[in-house]
Amino acid sequence: MSSAALALILLILACAGMRAAGLLVAGRLKPDHPFVRWAGSVAQATLTAFVLAAVIAPGGIMASLPLVARVAGLAAAVAILFWRGGLLLPVLGGLAVTLVLAAL
Amino acid sequence: MIFRSACREALGAPALAMAATFMAFGAAVQAAGLGMGWGLAAGQLVYGMPGQMVLLAAVGAPGGALPAVLGAVAANARFLPMAVALGPWLGPHVRLRFLAMPFIAVTPWAMAMRRLPDLPPADRLAWFLGFALTSWTVAGLSTWLGHLVAPVLDGWILAALLFVNPLYFGTILAGDTRFAPARRAVLCGAVATPLVLLLPASWALLGAGLVGGTVAFLWGQAKERRP
Repeated sequence: MSSAALALILLILACAGMRAAGLLVAGRLKPDHPFVRWAGSVAQATLTAFVLAAVIAPGGIMASLPLVARVAGLAAAVAILFWRGGLLLPVLGGLAVTLVLAAL
Repeated sequence: MIFRSACREALGAPALAMAATFMAFGAAVQAAGLGMGWGLAAGQLVYGMPGQMVLLAAVGAPGGALPAVLGAVAANARFLPMAVALGPWLGPHVRLRFLAMPFIAVTPWAMAMRRLPDLPPADRLAWFLGFALTSWTVAGLSTWLGHLVAPVLDGWILAALLFVNPLYFGTILAGDTRFAPARRAVLCGAVATPLVLLLPASWALLGAGLVGGTVAFLWGQAKERRP
């Protein structure tokens, strides 16, 4: 077995373990339990950090999109969300703004 | 009924975000010289893009992929708090909740945390399974398609496909800020984001999330205690 395949199997098992452990802990708790609320808060803050890091300082190929295009795209998506609601329209609008500014 | 309605719901913006991201991943797997089987196993069974990308990046590195497993696990460590937060919303049957286990990932989690509190407890697991199975299927098909068309995609298109992901989650988070606890978590997560650049890459996201999320939680507790 190649090291890439073995590494993937180990990662799959670890991810399944983390999901199972979370569900096991959650099985004894109600949605308003402080630990559940803390976990939700951490997950949401992690997602926020992921989004902002991907927009402000992305790694890899996403960095080839100019900063101004990335920031303006996210700002446009949020503006369309508060203006019209929904999810598809804001995402497509944000992507369109990003692509237009990247092409200039 | 609720299962089918959740499937339809997953086919809008969530499917666009999943398709774009997993297509880019499939193309990156092909570019790294790995087979379709590796890409599909990573996409469907890891089902957590940061960890997938950390592992994929390490495949071509001098030390090989094995030393990167810990970093990839850390990059996906958010699964633990996500499962803790989601579990109590997955209906009254604790054992049946484990049907949802393979599908706990950012897209289904983010939508479920918005939708499940408004549904009757008996419908919640069916909604989650309908939404999550559809997203998971879209992810698999997109990985396959990305691997197949990789030779004809240029870097600019890949970058645009990958950027759909932060746009989509940014939109979801902005929508969630109408609720005070989510508003605090998003604000504190944003303030903690510079830690992503300071901490070791494999722990950066989780570190920022732990600091930002804990401060947001304590802020909420303090507000509740105030008369």
